Amino acid sequence: MENSTKSIGKGIDRIDGILKITGKATYATDYPAKNMAYAVLFKSTIAAGQITKIDSTEAEKYPGVIKVITHENAPRLNTKGGLRGGALLQGPEIIFHGQHIGIVVAETFEQATAAAHLIKVEYNQKAEKTNFEKLAETPTMPKGKELADQVRGAGKSAMKTAEVTVEELYETPIEHHHPMEPHATMAMWEGDKLTLYNGSQIINGAQTAAAATLNMKPEQVRIISPFIGGGFGSKGGQWANLVLTAVAAKMVNRPVKLALTRQQMFNSVGLRQRNMQKLSIGATKEGKLVALAHEIISHTAINDEYIEPCGDCTKIMYDVPNSLITYRVVPMNIILPTYTRGPGKSTGSFALESAMDELAYKLKMDPIELRIKNEPPKDPSNGKPWSSRTTVKCLQEGAKAFGWDKRKAEPGTNKIGDDLIGYGVACGTYPARQRDSSAIIKLTLKNKVVHAKVEIAASDLGTGTNTILAQTAADGLGLPVNQITVKLGDSDLPPAAGSVGSVGASSFANAVNDACIKITDELLAKSGKQFFVRPTAAQLMISESFTDFQTRSDSKAPAEAEKYSAHSFNANFAEVRVNSITGMVKVTRFLAVTGAGKILNPKTARSQIIGGNVWGIGMALTEESVIDPRYGNFATRSFADYHVPTNLDIGNLDAMFINEEDLIPNKMGVKGIGEVGIVGVAAAVANAVFNATGKRVRSLPITPDKLL
Amino acid sequence: MKQNKTQLTPEEHRLFGDLMPEELEEVIQSGFNRRHFVKLMGLASAGLLASYALGAEQLFARAVETDEIPDLIPNAIENGVNVTFKVNSSSKSILIDSRMTLLDTLRERIGLTGSKKGCDHGQCGACTVIVDGHRVLSCLTLAATCQGKSVITIEGLAKENELNPMQAAFLKHDGFQCGFCTPGQICSAVALMKEAKEGQASFATTHISADAKPILLSDEEIAERMSGNICRCGAYPNIVAAIKEAQTGKNVPQNWLFTD
Amino acid sequence: MKPFQFISATNPGDAVARLTKNPEAAFLGGGTNLLDLMKEHVSLPNEIIDIGNLSLKEIKATATGFHLGALAKNTETANHPLIRKHLPLLSKAILAGASAQIRNMATNGGNLLQRTRCSYFYDISMPCNKRVPGSGCAALEGFNRMHAIFGWSEQCVAVYPSDMAIALSALNATVKVKTSVAERLIPFKDFHLLPGNHPEKDNSLAHGELITGIEIPNNSLAAHSAYVKVRDRNSYAFALVSVAAGLSLNGNLIQSAHLAMGGVAHKPWRALQAEDFLKGKPATIANFTKAAELEMASAKALPNNRFKIEMGRKTLINALQLAFKG
Repeated sequence: MENSTKSIGKGIDRIDGILKITGKATYATDYPAKNMAYAVLFKSTIAAGQITKIDSTEAEKYPGVIKVITHENAPRLNTKGGLRGGALLQGPEIIFHGQHIGIVVAETFEQATAAAHLIKVEYNQKAEKTNFEKLAETPTMPKGKELADQVRGAGKSAMKTAEVTVEELYETPIEHHHPMEPHATMAMWEGDKLTLYNGSQIINGAQTAAAATLNMKPEQVRIISPFIGGGFGSKGGQWANLVLTAVAAKMVNRPVKLALTRQQMFNSVGLRQRNMQKLSIGATKEGKLVALAHEIISHTAINDEYIEPCGDCTKIMYDVPNSLITYRVVPMNIILPTYTRGPGKSTGSFALESAMDELAYKLKMDPIELRIKNEPPKDPSNGKPWSSRTTVKCLQEGAKAFGWDKRKAEPGTNKIGDDLIGYGVACGTYPARQRDSSAIIKLTLKNKVVHAKVEIAASDLGTGTNTILAQTAADGLGLPVNQITVKLGDSDLPPAAGSVGSVGASSFANAVNDACIKITDELLAKSGKQFFVRPTAAQLMISESFTDFQTRSDSKAPAEAEKYSAHSFNANFAEVRVNSITGMVKVTRFLAVTGAGKILNPKTARSQIIGGNVWGIGMALTEESVIDPRYGNFATRSFADYHVPTNLDIGNLDAMFINEEDLIPNKMGVKGIGEVGIVGVAAAVANAVFNATGKRVRSLPITPDKLL
Repeated sequence: MKQNKTQLTPEEHRLFGDLMPEELEEVIQSGFNRRHFVKLMGLASAGLLASYALGAEQLFARAVETDEIPDLIPNAIENGVNVTFKVNSSSKSILIDSRMTLLDTLRERIGLTGSKKGCDHGQCGACTVIVDGHRVLSCLTLAATCQGKSVITIEGLAKENELNPMQAAFLKHDGFQCGFCTPGQICSAVALMKEAKEGQASFATTHISADAKPILLSDEEIAERMSGNICRCGAYPNIVAAIKEAQTGKNVPQNWLFTD
Repeated sequence: MKPFQFISATNPGDAVARLTKNPEAAFLGGGTNLLDLMKEHVSLPNEIIDIGNLSLKEIKATATGFHLGALAKNTETANHPLIRKHLPLLSKAILAGASAQIRNMATNGGNLLQRTRCSYFYDISMPCNKRVPGSGCAALEGFNRMHAIFGWSEQCVAVYPSDMAIALSALNATVKVKTSVAERLIPFKDFHLLPGNHPEKDNSLAHGELITGIEIPNNSLAAHSAYVKVRDRNSYAFALVSVAAGLSLNGNLIQSAHLAMGGVAHKPWRALQAEDFLKGKPATIANFTKAAELEMASAKALPNNRFKIEMGRKTLINALQLAFKG
């Protein structure tokens, strides 16, 4: 079979797109099952204390109700099994508002929902820790070793030596992931085997956590997750609802479907914590950095610690001899925070890159020039050489493409009618890593046509995994893409890393690529022939008339990669239009220039980058979850209060990629783009708002009231 | 419960046509298995789904629309209402709990799971369907109010082997990522074409007092009119491009830039 | 949702008779707010009377102005040639609200009956005098950024969320209501209520009454009207502050100004002080500014919504300028 053209690098349509546009893609609650029962969760209405009584008499009598499950009759589970957030109905303790306290299972969703309202709960309430501002006055050291104080050179004390300084407090609110598909599970038992249909960013992670929590062996639990309606971190680690669905199904001896409501999403599946970040930069008059300090206070849950690493960008972005990064934390009665798109880097870069913009303004220096001036020759945090670093290129190419020269240096001077126009720039970065993954390739020959099936327990949450793996296999085997079938999203397949932390594409694609090389080697050996030019696997199948052949490869990151610091880098350019009367902001143009190694499919890669940009614009302008400290509940409790950007909030977004070959992090040269797309975006927008209005907003989101 | 009483589209029939008749019956009754799959690997039939081998296995994992809707056990329905309405091309008669929304009726009773529940409160648009020609939210519509009405869902947009041009444009412009909001986006966009043709105004329309005439939608007009459909993956610019292409019938370029 | 009987009303008389019989029954129009509230267990009717098939859908010119059928959809109303031509302020206000899908479902009568979007009202685990009289107001000392700056009471600080009704208020509309015995007309200013000691009552409809239509008198505002809405995102969000403005001009002289504000009170807030000031004065920025300041002087902010006073002032001036420009 002729294979003159490579598929990798081409912007082909998603191979699973046809199912998505015809309504045939199957998400967790789309599977039919005979004799299905419906479960709904009910939740605590206090933030701290104990349940003293749950009266479910009326609910149990309600038509169609099969079972009410509470901590009084739920089976004992392993609470250290790897699920996040607790809330497994293991006792009467309440540690956050909206903690799951029970499940109603009924014949229909309508009945389960109505019956849940008949449950009467009595509590012994304790004083709750829910007032972040107050608690933040007396924070504690985090437990995590990686969050210990990081001092380089003279640390913050070198600020004294600086000629020009910026010292400001930057604040980011609680944000919620809110994937369009609320977390949902369908559980089916066959004997002691359990099948869970559940959107999972890490298929094997969901499997092992569910099994361990249920005191089962991993091989007894199967996760099926071919399509995931978004996750953004909230479907990375799994939460109580996964296992509680299995518990319900076991107790009623029927398949059970349990979907969280949108309102329940606020306190069931993690959140991005609120951060107070004090950023101090000291520089010479010429703009050379001499000191940099990033002091972070955030909160975690009472029962567990998760702190997003806001100082990560600060560690590596600029060449500065003296620096300090500190984390302090307050435990609160709140659902456990968790990984949220660009964890730490997106929020941390808001502080760092806003402060850099403030410094540039004080120095009367172009913010691009200031950044280039402080470009580090090697990783300042560990002294390792960069595998490659594209920050300067991203800034320079971006400036050209965006028309940065049209920016007015003096804020508030670019006015069209009632609108103020502003330009902003900010940089970002995210680590490039490969994680252990295995893949099987199965080849068949029929009627002189070779087909390949790729099997890997990878996930595709809209990132394009299906498509890039088909492209990888096509090139690796010498086949056109339409003769490749990709099977993923099933824990029965060879184990793989997850779609988290931008490791998906590198881990999955390298596993498939390695399997292609291996299967070709094995077919060559099997043929017993010598070739002048290495034939493709497809050619070998045909020429040797092999009808079936398969192999499995287990891939790891190259050992060499450890010696380098490998990251994706970007530069973000924003143009905003601010209505000078209403204070409403619109991002009219945005350009993200990204150096992320090999781009496997520019169409899906561009979508992922602009998707990250939309997230960053939401962070900058609209998204905020507010806790009422008197009760510990969310005062913003629906999509009417929590403003995900709409279509009209988004202007023209462009994605540009640096053509780079960096084979150090992994053989395919793939660095990952899912996370870096959001990093630096909020700062670019906030900097543009400053350029437009002269108002520096250091507390996100930038809602109209802050620009009056 | 649901029987997989055959609802294969002609296209699916074509795709699976090489299976023996009894195997096809087996597939329809009990789903797709490996043996069928291996068989299908040899097929090279042209058409909508054939070039997407991935589609084959998924097709039978989904819920299947049923002609005769089985009744639930009597205990499962309170305040039963009999309602007859048209869904895509077929008429459905069904006894439902008065509380059942159109969305849950489509998904849980009729087996059409394309329409999605993103918020259940009219705040996201994922459940958008077209009722009597208008895009509406099926989560805020009681099925009992649909007596005699005609409902078009995402499953009803493609005809035979041909995608609706809006579907094709969404595919080409990558107007989605996770795909969960997509059925609602596409139904919304299809209905929008009619609204534009009728000259309906939006908040972005500058001359509201002018006589209504067919509108060629600007990017801003598309964005305002599609703002009832939230996309958390952030595919908005691609959605705007897709709708523009579907409306004009002209190629809208796709931009991704590389630089050395 | 709580279980309910579902009944389709055959005519307005039938609908009113059925509702009158059952104090726990509710009319179902477009359902965009009622279903939302029923799912939240805020509204708990045991009988739903579907009025969707009643023929109260006409939009027409009358001897004195315009008639909007109570059950005409918001989309039809905003796009009706008569409304676009003669009442563009109303079209614009309707189109500023919600989304295309919701406007396709929502009825004119239902729009007037929208309940507040105060999140404490929606959260049944919270105290709320509007939902449970006497339980307290969680918003008064809570998260009240979206809440009222005019006319609130210690009992309730919620705002009324409609855009359409803000324009109707400025346009001096009248609500036509059918009772079990007769028809009555309610001037718009008397239709919605301030919370006082009875925040559970949003409006002056009695149980058993059905809105059949809205009457709008002829006016000379079409050429000089504007609807400005300030919100947290560019579309599909409730107003922080909105202003419906219409000017009747004689050259540069203001014969009468029609001004109503949304997002600031428990009802559409008619800016009467500003209107009085502007009457007979030249349309100048100075006068617009003075009028806006007069109106906002009586505003009383809550801890989280002080910004609304300045936002209201600016938006009033802005709407007047835009209306003047035409």
